[in-house]
Amino acid sequence: MNKKLLNKTTTTFLIFSVFVLLISVPVFYYITERLYIEETDETLALHRDEFLKNKLPKFDAKDIALWNKYNRNVQIFPKHIVTKDSLFSKVYFDELENENEPYRELNTPILIKGQPYTYVGRTNLIEKEDLIISIAMLFLVVIIILLLGILIITKISSRKLWKPFYDTLDQIQGFEIDKNKKPHFMDTDVEEFNRLNKSLNRLIEKNTDIYNNQREFVENAAHELQTPLALFQTKIDTLFQLDVTKDQSQVLSSLNKDVSRLNRLNKNLLLLSKIENGNYPDKEPIIINEYLKKHLEFFTEQAKAKNLNIVIEYTEKLKIEGNPSLTEVLINNLFLNAIRHNNKNGKIIITITSDSITFLNTGQETALIVDKLFNRFSKSNPSSQGNGLGMAIIKKITEISHWKISYAFDNNLHCFTVKF
Amino acid sequence: MKILIIEDELEIAANIKGYFKPNGIQCETSGTYKDALDKINNYDYDCVLLDLMLPDGDGFDILKELKKRNKTEGVIIISAKETLDTRIEGFNLGADDYLTKPFHLSELLVRIQALIRRKNFKGNNNVVFNEIVIDILSKTVTVNNTKLDITKKEIDLLLFLIGNENKVLSKGAIAEHLSGDMADMLDNHDFVYAHIKNLKKKLSHAGSGDYIKTIYGLGYKWDNE
Repeated sequence: MNKKLLNKTTTTFLIFSVFVLLISVPVFYYITERLYIEETDETLALHRDEFLKNKLPKFDAKDIALWNKYNRNVQIFPKHIVTKDSLFSKVYFDELENENEPYRELNTPILIKGQPYTYVGRTNLIEKEDLIISIAMLFLVVIIILLLGILIITKISSRKLWKPFYDTLDQIQGFEIDKNKKPHFMDTDVEEFNRLNKSLNRLIEKNTDIYNNQREFVENAAHELQTPLALFQTKIDTLFQLDVTKDQSQVLSSLNKDVSRLNRLNKNLLLLSKIENGNYPDKEPIIINEYLKKHLEFFTEQAKAKNLNIVIEYTEKLKIEGNPSLTEVLINNLFLNAIRHNNKNGKIIITITSDSITFLNTGQETALIVDKLFNRFSKSNPSSQGNGLGMAIIKKITEISHWKISYAFDNNLHCFTVKF
Repeated sequence: MKILIIEDELEIAANIKGYFKPNGIQCETSGTYKDALDKINNYDYDCVLLDLMLPDGDGFDILKELKKRNKTEGVIIISAKETLDTRIEGFNLGADDYLTKPFHLSELLVRIQALIRRKNFKGNNNVVFNEIVIDILSKTVTVNNTKLDITKKEIDLLLFLIGNENKVLSKGAIAEHLSGDMADMLDNHDFVYAHIKNLKKKLSHAGSGDYIKTIYGLGYKWDNE
């Protein structure tokens, strides 16, 4: 799944922070505990030293009971329990709180009036669970604050930071080389974005130039060809009037066919490049039903040789906004294609709805290859007289008019639909 | 009838001239803007064929000049330029017809005839060929005063054939004439045969002569011999 750039950096940040925080919880706990115990030990030692220095010289055996009675954390026990100083942790039961409490205890052997005693100093430690819970809570709060902070900061600052980038992205996405609209990137003070925009501008300019040259070339070439073709045609027309032998007339006749094929090819190339150059901008309302009715005779005539059965279902009135010339070319091409690629005694069904027209026709019994169908000069049937531009013209007209052409092969019928 | 061909492609001009001559049309040719202006100023023509791109000037300027001098010549633009704008500009400047190159000479011939007919219109607009009379306005055809039951397309075909009398016409030329704007998309001209057959039948039924001849391998001819 694709993620947005901003989310991606944020996610990395978040994962890293959580990871660091989770690791730091035990470490922090361990260090805190160590420091705490060390400090406690020092205090215990300090208290003992103080006792030994200030209290012990004046201490009497009979003071011990009283001392022990009023001192909870420093007790004097008879006999030596230990032979030297010993520090350790120990758990005592606390009757007040009715639970076990951890203590740190320092035992030091002492002598009171020559009698062996043991000094026992102890300090209540914070319970481990309490410490862990406190630290965990603290860290949870820190994590939440951190995450929220990161999220909000990246949302706000990154969005601002990356704005030129997203703007550029949107513009290139909407850019089409055959539409005369160059993208206008927003100004930015980020060097990388500036570089990106400059490179894109250069790339687009260069490609547009190449594209325009190409386009002009096609149109100019087609135009320039008109004159020699006219020469060719008039000469053949002149030749037709001469007395020619049978053999010569055969050559002449096929020459005539060739030149008229050349004419058609050139005219269609010219038409295609004129459509691409946006020479048909005017639009007006057109009622397709009426156009079809008006020219049905012509199409029926064309279909007569193949004895085709033409059925038109005018289910609804189809009124569209379009360039009249191009719309006519579109309908004519679709209709003539349905005739041209049909079988003898085949049929053509035309369905008109309020927003589409569909041409169904019999023909070859396999589906056409959709990928190539609308390309220039791609002929499904190489032997056909078509020049391979009809479909490209249809496609171009639908593109430029923002209509949609689709092809399907169903029930042995080829189906072309234009959605307006 | 006298026409002026203003065309810098001299061979095209020569071909037009050669094609029209047997049909009684006198042609003068002019390859430059300057020469064309001289001819227009000094002579009167029934019709001017005008190429727009001349080596020393713009064909449109000749149109303007004609208009300025209140000349009555009909003008047919013959140009390789095929944009709506030039077409509209041509008509606005007073051209009567616009034919894009390449074209069939037969097509040019009937266009000139139609133009002359419109220019010389005096109440009736009939094309008469022996026993056949075609009324352009009411779209009717009579043979020996018998009205034929004939379609518009057949009248169109009849006019095309008679206009090109004694010329051999290819199926393609006829098909392109009959299908007009659609011609560029048509690659099958077989429908011409059906039209010729029907027209022939209707004419002979009405007792007309058998003028439509099939020329083997090439096409058809309206034969007046």
